[in-house]
Amino acid sequence: MVFLFAALAVLPYLLSYSQQEIAVLLVINVLLVSSYRLLTLTGEWSLGHVVIMGVGAYASALLAKRLGVPVPLSMLLGAGMAAATAAILSFPLFRMKGFYFLIGSFAAGEIIRLIWKRFTDPFGGPKGLKRIDPFPDIDAGFLSIDFYEPVNYYFLALIVVSASLFVLYRIERSRIGLTFHAIHWQDRLAESVGVDTFRYRTLAFVIASFFAGIAGGLYAHYVGAVNPTRFSVDQMVYVLVWAVVGGTATFYGPILGVIVLTVVNEIVLRALGLDTARPLIYGAILILSVLYLPNGLESLGPRLRARWQRWRGGSAAARREAT
Amino acid sequence: MSRKSLHRKISRRKFLGTSAAAGAALAATGTGLPRVSFADSHTIKIGFLAPLTGPVAAWGKPGLDGCLIWADWVNAKGGVSIGGQSYNIEFVGYDNEYDVAKARTGATKLIKEDGVKFIMMLGGDTWAGAQPVAEREGMLFSTLLPSDLSPDSTTLVAPCEVHPIYNVTGVEWLAENKPELKTAAMCAQDDALGKPSVATYLAAFEAAGIEMVDAPLFFDPATTDFAPVMTRLMAGNPDILCLDTCYADYVHPLCEQAFQQGYQGQIISCTADFYQNIIEKTSEEFMEGFIFQFPDFDDPALNSEGINFVNPNEFYAEYANRYGASAWGAVSWEYASIMDLWADAATRAGSAEPAAVLEAMKADGTGKHAFGTADWWGTELFGIDNALVGNWPVVVIEGGKARIKAFKSIPAWWDQHKDLMIKHMTDLGQMWNQQG
Repeated sequence: MVFLFAALAVLPYLLSYSQQEIAVLLVINVLLVSSYRLLTLTGEWSLGHVVIMGVGAYASALLAKRLGVPVPLSMLLGAGMAAATAAILSFPLFRMKGFYFLIGSFAAGEIIRLIWKRFTDPFGGPKGLKRIDPFPDIDAGFLSIDFYEPVNYYFLALIVVSASLFVLYRIERSRIGLTFHAIHWQDRLAESVGVDTFRYRTLAFVIASFFAGIAGGLYAHYVGAVNPTRFSVDQMVYVLVWAVVGGTATFYGPILGVIVLTVVNEIVLRALGLDTARPLIYGAILILSVLYLPNGLESLGPRLRARWQRWRGGSAAARREAT
Repeated sequence: MSRKSLHRKISRRKFLGTSAAAGAALAATGTGLPRVSFADSHTIKIGFLAPLTGPVAAWGKPGLDGCLIWADWVNAKGGVSIGGQSYNIEFVGYDNEYDVAKARTGATKLIKEDGVKFIMMLGGDTWAGAQPVAEREGMLFSTLLPSDLSPDSTTLVAPCEVHPIYNVTGVEWLAENKPELKTAAMCAQDDALGKPSVATYLAAFEAAGIEMVDAPLFFDPATTDFAPVMTRLMAGNPDILCLDTCYADYVHPLCEQAFQQGYQGQIISCTADFYQNIIEKTSEEFMEGFIFQFPDFDDPALNSEGINFVNPNEFYAEYANRYGASAWGAVSWEYASIMDLWADAATRAGSAEPAAVLEAMKADGTGKHAFGTADWWGTELFGIDNALVGNWPVVVIEGGKARIKAFKSIPAWWDQHKDLMIKHMTDLGQMWNQQG
């Protein structure tokens, strides 16, 4: 753990300025995709998670911009708004399951996006909100932190996201998390032993949405602008791709997916001057990973380890035979 | 599933090891890549921050292609003379994918790592991301969409395209030449580009005495099936179909649908990018008389006196030679024409520094716009005089080829009908002081 945090602390100083910007957005997306995984634990895949992130972003931006709420508080309240929205949506959505839930979540997300577009006041219409208050700078004489600088915002986001991931991890490992798994694999059996599957599904949806809302707040107060297009289904496809390529069986699978794909797409391919070929290569990576790593990148380590052990076993047997 | 089996799935060692490896990979990639690229002392770098991939790429990529021709020509002649020294021009592109966060990242990369002196953008949604960077760094930016302008953004100029205001010229010409057409129906994608354009067309139609048969139809940008959109538009039996400022990905299927549903009336649109492809999918007869605003630069009318774009016909020929004639689009020449203006201002300023170039650009309140001398204008509409406005061409497809029919004055229309424009812009929440 110490090594991991040391690596994350050193990381921004090894990056260029624009790569630090990418690292900020990457950290935020780690929270987004990790919160999405919590929802998938119950077996439901949503197409509205990015819109829920948008609810957090819009709410936090409006609270800070219109009502003068301090940004850290507005981010928390924005996350609360995202959770509340999820709680309301759960009543119609969890009357559905599987594919129907997927479509229902897409429809719900589109309704929210249309509301942002239709009501210029207060949501800014299709142009969205601009000049959103940034996270307040810290100036205590001996210590001055300007959060416009990506390296500073990276550490802020890292602290918030690390704390959030810890909470998500503990939830998954708790009795509640086990119940989520039970609902995923045997929902009828779970009901038969007294588990209220509707309440647990709602709980997973609300918790996942709260953290998606936190991610939205971090995004809005860093970039300084939000608009409905930013939270469209196109963006949701990226979250799905991160989760699918990384794998969702383990806590770290989606995190691996978002890190690998972001580094490849935003840093490696751009550095190679392949800007216009990126969608093609990105698509090829997706197809190849589904073909050859159907259980995601998270399965790569165990597979390599198994091969290594087979090889070592084979070598040891050969040595015994030789002697 | 037991707690034990879950623990077996993700051990602490496995999680930490993999996360650390990913972090190390990111760091290694970062250190392995060039962090700053240094131009030689006689080269000035210009940033090109626009969508080069994705649905809006048609308004980015062809512009960068045009700029490469511009740079080759200028550099072949010895470069731009600034302060008694000649400088070659090098373009540095960054694909912002029409995403606000990537626009911010791109702006910081171009300024802090590439050391550009000027950044050209498409604008729209992406300007909001670059705006804080522009203000912090004092960098001169240009946009093709003057609706991005506001009094807060003093280093943003719209020196070429005055979208959507020039759309009034197409409607004005239509009313003068086809006065029998009295009704119109209009559709647009529901986004930051579509809405101000709808307000402009509504004002232009009202000024020309053309009635709308129905309220403008806004469709979602994610729309892929345009059959119902066209059916609704045609339901009112309009004389004119107005496609507003739809992206190329929408104009093409909309025209196909109009053709397939038997529409035989007039069509007017802001753009008709890659119109040869539309003709192939419909017919030359169907597209005859189609009005839009962006000429092919092999048009003889561009050789007339007062046109400031350098060698337009040769530019078009070179563009067609390098990328194919069908690759020519609305923005193929626009960014290059902005560079003409920038180079002229930098030469006069004797400096490539953003503040000096901006001051020289606006020095006497006029500028050499591609289609003639124009005025720095915009206080009433944008809150700041940072849009270069003058004449704009009206283009009509005749015999399968786009031809300029007239150059009409935007300021002249504005002087007569500005109240209408402000009314419709206000109704749709598009005035600069109504922006979120």
